[in-house]
Formats: sequence, C-alpha cells, structure tokens
Amino acid sequence: MTNSSGSTALAEDFTASADETRRLYFRGAPGTLLGIQLVNMLLVLCTLGIYLFWAKVKVRRYVLGETEFEGDRFAYHGTGRELLIGSLKAGLIFGVPITLLQNLPVALNASAWIKVLCFVLGYSIVVLFIPFAIVGTRRYRLSRSSWRGIRFSFRGRALAFFRLYLRGAVLRVLMLGLYSPFWAVEKYAFLTANTYFGNRKFDFDGRGRDLFRSFLLLVLLVLPTLGIYGFWYQAKKLRYLTEHTSFDGARFTCTATGGGLCRLQLVNLLMVIATLGLALPWATVRSLRYWYDNIALQGPLDLSAIEQDYQAASATAEGLAGFLDLDFSLGA
Amino acid sequence: MILEWRGYYFDGRTAARHPVRVQIAATGLKLTLEDGATHFWPYEEMRQSQGFHTGEQVRFERGADPSEALLVTELDFLNTLHRMVPGLGRRFHRPERRLMRRSLTGFAALGVLAVGALMYFWGIPAAAKVVAARVPVSWEESLGRNIVDQFATGEMRCTDPEVGRMIADMTARLTAATPSPYTFRVAVVRAPVVNAFAVPGGNVVVFQGLIEQTRRPEELAGVLAHEFQHIIQKHTTRMLLQKTTTGLMLSAMTGDLSGAVAFGASAAHTLGTLRYNRAMEEEADVEGIKMLAAAGLDPAAMIDFFETLKKKSGAEPEYLAYLSSHPSTEQRIATLKSLAARSKPNAAAFSRYNWSELKKKCRAAERKR
Repeated sequence: MTNSSGSTALAEDFTASADETRRLYFRGAPGTLLGIQLVNMLLVLCTLGIYLFWAKVKVRRYVLGETEFEGDRFAYHGTGRELLIGSLKAGLIFGVPITLLQNLPVALNASAWIKVLCFVLGYSIVVLFIPFAIVGTRRYRLSRSSWRGIRFSFRGRALAFFRLYLRGAVLRVLMLGLYSPFWAVEKYAFLTANTYFGNRKFDFDGRGRDLFRSFLLLVLLVLPTLGIYGFWYQAKKLRYLTEHTSFDGARFTCTATGGGLCRLQLVNLLMVIATLGLALPWATVRSLRYWYDNIALQGPLDLSAIEQDYQAASATAEGLAGFLDLDFSLGA
Repeated sequence: MILEWRGYYFDGRTAARHPVRVQIAATGLKLTLEDGATHFWPYEEMRQSQGFHTGEQVRFERGADPSEALLVTELDFLNTLHRMVPGLGRRFHRPERRLMRRSLTGFAALGVLAVGALMYFWGIPAAAKVVAARVPVSWEESLGRNIVDQFATGEMRCTDPEVGRMIADMTARLTAATPSPYTFRVAVVRAPVVNAFAVPGGNVVVFQGLIEQTRRPEELAGVLAHEFQHIIQKHTTRMLLQKTTTGLMLSAMTGDLSGAVAFGASAAHTLGTLRYNRAMEEEADVEGIKMLAAAGLDPAAMIDFFETLKKKSGAEPEYLAYLSSHPSTEQRIATLKSLAARSKPNAAAFSRYNWSELKKKCRAAERKR
C-alpha cells in the first residue's frame, strides 16, 4: 500500500509522509441519531411540517460533526432559516408556474391541444430544472461544509453543466441507453473537478469508455441474475470514479465490492422493514461506515498550507431539489 | 480546579491546526497560542456549534462566515465554564443535562405516537372535511378523470351501446329528482370483480362482475345511488385528501419529501379499496335511499342486493370485494328497511330492459389462445 513517487520534490514541512494513507471515520452512535430524529419528528408534527428544515440541519450537523479526518471533525454551517427561505423561493420560481401550467388549462376548460401543450411545457420545465438543481444543491451544501475551519466550495458554472446534462440525456435516448456510462462519468467529472477545499482543487481523470465494457456486461447479466449483478456494476463504477479522483496530489482509493454493497443494502433493507423503520439510523450509520471504511486518500498532502477561499451560495436550488424529488449525497 | 485547558484554534484562513491554551475569564476566553500571541473571545461573540452529544468535540465559533473556531477536547471544560461564569446557561450546552435530555427523548418518542395518532384519527380527517367542502367541483372533475383513465383504459371499458343507454337512463332518472353540482358518468369495466367505487367529481366505476350479480335493474340503481352519494357528500375527495395528507405526514416525519408524491399517486391507485368510515357509509345509505325514492325507484332493491351478496360471500370469497367496504350488518339492513318502507316506487321504471340478457353484455371477451 505504499506510493512514494513524486513526493521528494516538494520537501517542505509535511505533517504526514508521502505514503501515508488517510481515512474518514464515523465517531457517532446510531442511538444518538435516533434520539435526534425522534425529537425532530415530534417538532415536525407539532409545527405541521415547518420544522422539517431545522430537522434536516440537525441531522446533517450531527453526521458531519461526527465524521473525522486526520483527527479533526467536519462541520456543517447551514441553518434551517436558510433552507426555509430557499424552499419558499423555489416554490415561487418553480412550484407556482408548474402548478398553474398543470391545472389552469383543465380549470379553464381549454381545448385539447392547449392542454397537451401545457403538459409538455410543464414537463420540459421540470426536466430542464434538474441540472440547475443538482449544481445549485452541490454549491450550497459544499459552501456550508468545513473541515478545520476551511470551507468546501463548488465553482462549476450551472450553464456548462446544463449543456453537458442535456447533451448526455439526448445522446442516451438516441443510443438506446448505451450512452449511460459515458454520461455518468461526464456528470461526475464536472461535479468533481469543480469542487474545491479552500483554495485547493479536486481532480478527475477518468473516461466513460473505461466503464463501457462493464456496462455491457450489466445489460447482459442484469436479467439472468435478477438484478443482483447491479451491485457488482455499482461497485465497479464506484471504484472507478473514486480511484480516478484526486485532491491536490493525493489520490483516492476505493475497495468497495459488489458482495459488500449487496450485503450492506440487503441487510439495511431487512433491518428497516423488520423494525418498521426504527432501525433507519442504524442503516444510515452502516452505510456511512461502509463508505468510510472503503475509501482512503493516499499520497503527499500538505494540509496546513491550504488556505480559505470562501464562496457564498444560496439555498434556493436545494429548495428546488426538494420539489423535484432529488436527493444528493456529498459522498462522491 | 484546572484553570488552563488545552485546545486547538483554527484561524479561518488556513487549515493549520494551532495548539492553544485556554483560560476562563469573567467576560470571555483568553487563548494563548504557542508563539505567544493571544486572542480574547468575549462570550457574547461566541457560539457553540458542536459538543451537544456524547463523543462530540466541544467547538466554538466566532465572527462572520467563514468564522474562526476553537476546539476543546475535554468535555469537563463546559461544566467548569458554567461553574465559573454563571449566566451562560442559554449560550452554551450544559453536559449535566444530558441525562435529563435522554428521558426527554423518551417522552418525545411517546409524544410522536400521541400526536401522530391524534392527527391520524382526528386532525387530518377534520381538516380534510373542511378542505373538501371548499374544493371546487372543477378540480374534483379533473382529478377524477385522471383516476378513471388509469382504471378503465381502452379495452377494459365496456362500450356496448345498449348497456350505455341503460346506464344513461338510470343516471338521468336518479339525478333528475336530486339536483347536485356534478355531472355523473358511469364507466363499466369488463372484469369479473364484484365491485364498484366512486371517484371525485362525478365518476363511478362499476365492474361487470357486480352487474351480473344483480337480479333486477333497481339493484344496480341502488348501488349507483349509494356511490353517487359518496361523491355528492364529497366522501371520496375527503378520503383522498386524508390519504395524501397522511402520506405527507409520514414522509415529513421520516425527513424526506420525495416519498410524499409517490404516496399521493398510490392513493389514487388504491381508490378501489378505499375504506370510508362508518359515518360516511351510513350517510351514503340514507341519502342513497332518499335519492332512489325521489326517483320513484324501489329502495328495497338496494337492500336485496346487499343481502344476496352477504349470502353468497359465505361460500365464495370473490363476492367479498364490494362487501368488505360495505359491511352488511343486521343493523345496517334494518336501517335501510325502515327508510325504504316509506317510499312508493314505480315498479315499471325499467321494465323495458331484458335484464338477464343485458347484464351479461359486458363480460370480458373470450381470450384467444
């Protein structure tokens, strides 16, 4: 597990040696998470849902606050107020026009082709908003996450992602789904290579064609294996994407396996079903631990030289994502 | 008592971790870095952002985003701080209250059950009643059309012209004497299920299996009158609102909104098995009988039909579909009978229909193999 190439040229004052492996650890307890969620539930019920935004913040704060890297915890700085305002704004910009488009023609008893036109228009708006929601949510979440007081940030332009997203979506349809692995890598590459920690950048050097053969195998095997092969493709993709990600000279490694993911997700599912959802925090923690146990950052890294480069961001896109039923994780 | 604590200071400019000595003073914390530089953090400028749970580090922040941060690894620091500087109880977490918080969390769990049950059994139904009364008929109609389209698609729908005329005749008779803001449409579905249900806005779905179980047209008219009343009394809209709201409540409690939309959609799908509460069924019975009587149709037919179903369901479970949502208790039949006794029906209302032929018209087409 050693990799000492290229470290001698930058021999200033490293706190860690070049071949050191750095990992994430989750220090939290599922029981505490359950307690937080129970109190959240009560408050959400009593406020008819308004507390939901604060509830989300409490959970994110706990999960990030219990995630450790190099002896220090991450921190989450978002607020419930921000999320509420973001959601209200997204409702105004997005929810109101969509609702009107969907219901006005029916209420006004418009002619059939106007109804169809409004339906198509409404649907297109939803689809076109998805890439903006993805980028905006990432921008917001990263800007509110920090480690050792240094914030993460996302600096990709929404319009560039929009073009990439639309192009991939169209190509995927034209190529009957075969473009999927290329599209997945393009999206991941854009989202990763525009992510910063302080003034240092993440990088990605993978290519979609490397996943193409595995994808073909998936297409061939998914039905005969009743979908179980999906876990192996998922693991392969996860490993590929992670191992081609680097941060400031250090490279990520990933040891996730199809069997591991399969066991993780099936056991989680059984646990949650058997306990009527009460075991959800345990499932969450198991997933986090699996992810943290199986990725590492390897190579030279001068952490103390990283400087703050704060980028402001608003929560509107996160509100939008809520409307679009999207959920993102910052794991990748 | 320890007067000096060890911690780490992050200046918010670099990711360097500065070891720092922390001293508690009356109005703030005094931080001394290794190079001798000192900072003074007044309490009123500090906020605690971590260290509320077992295993968490105590973390303070100061200043606007991105802020400086101070980490103190020993939990006892907070206890000492509260002892030495009274009046900070609101600003910083008190670790000694954790035990109390644990029992409060237990109460919260009970509270979730209590408030959840209260809302499920009382709050949501009451709110749905108030809201349903104010939902415009046009909304109900557009919602209902979507649901019917999902159920009675193309080939499934019986388009026999004779059945169509008979249903139209029956609907016209029933609605002529009892005005309502709805335009009623009845879709007959070619399926051997013994069932019928109402959809918001004036649509009723009747399965061929139910029609075939009726012995005379008045029995079907009785079922239609009952289902029309579920619409007129807005029972269907109320149930749909209730189900969607319950779904929203559940997914809000578990923290994701995405499930809510799916739940709403599935509510529309499960309309066929939607259970009205007993008060709603009684109201539909009473008003349905009134509707039949006003139209000059024999209300006793409705009672006969339920009794037939009840008898047959003992032996063959397929008759249970409609019965399960319309339990024919002795009491219910007695009420219906007392209501029906007062009417003077026109026995010849549907005499021109050859019922034994007509009721078989919508049988599913023979499968070609």
